[in-house]
Amino acid sequence: MRLPKFNYLGPKTLDEALDLLDTYKDDAKILAGGTDLLVRMKKGLLKPKVLISLKALNELSYIKKQSGFIKIGARTPLADIIDSDLIQKEAKALFQACKKIGAISIQHFRGTIGGNILQDNRCHHYNQSDFHRSGRQACHKDGGKICYAREEADRCNSTCQSDGATALMALGADITLVSKSNERTIDLADFYTTDGIMPHACESNELLKEIIIPVFGAHSSYQRLAYRSAIDYPIVCAGVLLKPSLKNEIAEARIVVGAMGRSPLFLAQISSSLKGKKLNDTIAFKKAADASMDSSATFAVHNVGATLEYRCSMVSQMVFQALEQTAETIKA
Amino acid sequence: MATNISFLLNGDKISYEIKDHWTLLHLLREEMGLIGTKEGCGNGECGACTVIVDKLAINSCLYLAIDADEKIIETIEGLASTDGTLHPLQQSFVDNGGIQCGFCSPGMIMSSKALLDENPKAGHEEIKHALAGNICRCTGYVQILDSVEAARDKGGQNE
Repeated sequence: MRLPKFNYLGPKTLDEALDLLDTYKDDAKILAGGTDLLVRMKKGLLKPKVLISLKALNELSYIKKQSGFIKIGARTPLADIIDSDLIQKEAKALFQACKKIGAISIQHFRGTIGGNILQDNRCHHYNQSDFHRSGRQACHKDGGKICYAREEADRCNSTCQSDGATALMALGADITLVSKSNERTIDLADFYTTDGIMPHACESNELLKEIIIPVFGAHSSYQRLAYRSAIDYPIVCAGVLLKPSLKNEIAEARIVVGAMGRSPLFLAQISSSLKGKKLNDTIAFKKAADASMDSSATFAVHNVGATLEYRCSMVSQMVFQALEQTAETIKA
Repeated sequence: MATNISFLLNGDKISYEIKDHWTLLHLLREEMGLIGTKEGCGNGECGACTVIVDKLAINSCLYLAIDADEKIIETIEGLASTDGTLHPLQQSFVDNGGIQCGFCSPGMIMSSKALLDENPKAGHEEIKHALAGNICRCTGYVQILDSVEAARDKGGQNE
């Protein structure tokens, strides 16, 4: 498969990159690893006139701990995150998620954490070749008015299948976006628009700069289900965070279910129902897991493989396993 | 837009005028005629296009040729000696039946080489992990894993 033509720009500094982005706006796409972008371009889903490569911007590749926060540069390769003791110890869910993304050839070199969060939503009716899509009417995401995943749907039902985003949302991460004239930090959960066509609240002149994870004595876990152990998107995944109190009760909980909706789903009510429960309260975990299944099932459509029924019932399993594993880590 | 890049390909210094939208795979196969590296899915899912860039295995179908500037690149063509003697990994694939149709073999061998160059004592699980991004559609993976293990056990020497 060939790439459509484009011009390649290689800015040397972040300021230069932001200038270029401000000039070209929608005509430009940011190239970090390219493992998502280039595939979309090959399929004719995106046709940017210029690619702005972050290759030279080593200032965006770092992992550091600073006054109670872990800060990760958006262009940090997945392999660096997997190798980081800090992430393994203090943000285990992210470590587990990154290990599952792609295979060595993707992680080691090309894939970046920023790119993983910013990957566009997917749907197996939409993520197809030009030829496949040319044989039928365009769907919502393709600029048309119909949805092949759910009949009579008035909007796009594409699914966010990012491993990194689910884990980071469970960890309560914030992200920093920069443009030529502005810099803003927002909660990752607010970054999602729940619109399948434009899933991220990111302006065309903005660039993801940093991911900020709070460290406050909590433990986390990430579980996912996919067809293949490598190079595959999750069909269901769950990220969980638990903070124990001094009495070994749950002081704070966060449950996030991914690959079910148009964005990762933070289940606030179910999460707070775990507050005050004992760490070995398996029944409470089971209840929370089943409630997570019920809540997320309403968002899911049959568009990323496996049957809807199977995916829904596995939500409960993924959440339960993640809760159990987090509790185990705390006890150990 | 055309850009001039230079890189080390299998030990030879190469200078080439490329277009911005070429992938490394396109440069190797279509322009330079090095058809040992295969194009399978073109999406980074199958690993048939694996080559080694600066000692790391990468999918050349998702690697822009322009990014290869100043890099050290190894492809399957660079493994055998000029007199035709196969690289120990290649010989091991032949000896242990790690090849059926051969389409996945260049990718499998390059992924294995990147691993064994970095860790000559890699265990079974590490080999499986390193080859997780490579798909074989003929038969299975047992002979392929056996081939890599046999090459590892011989410590990079042909018998």
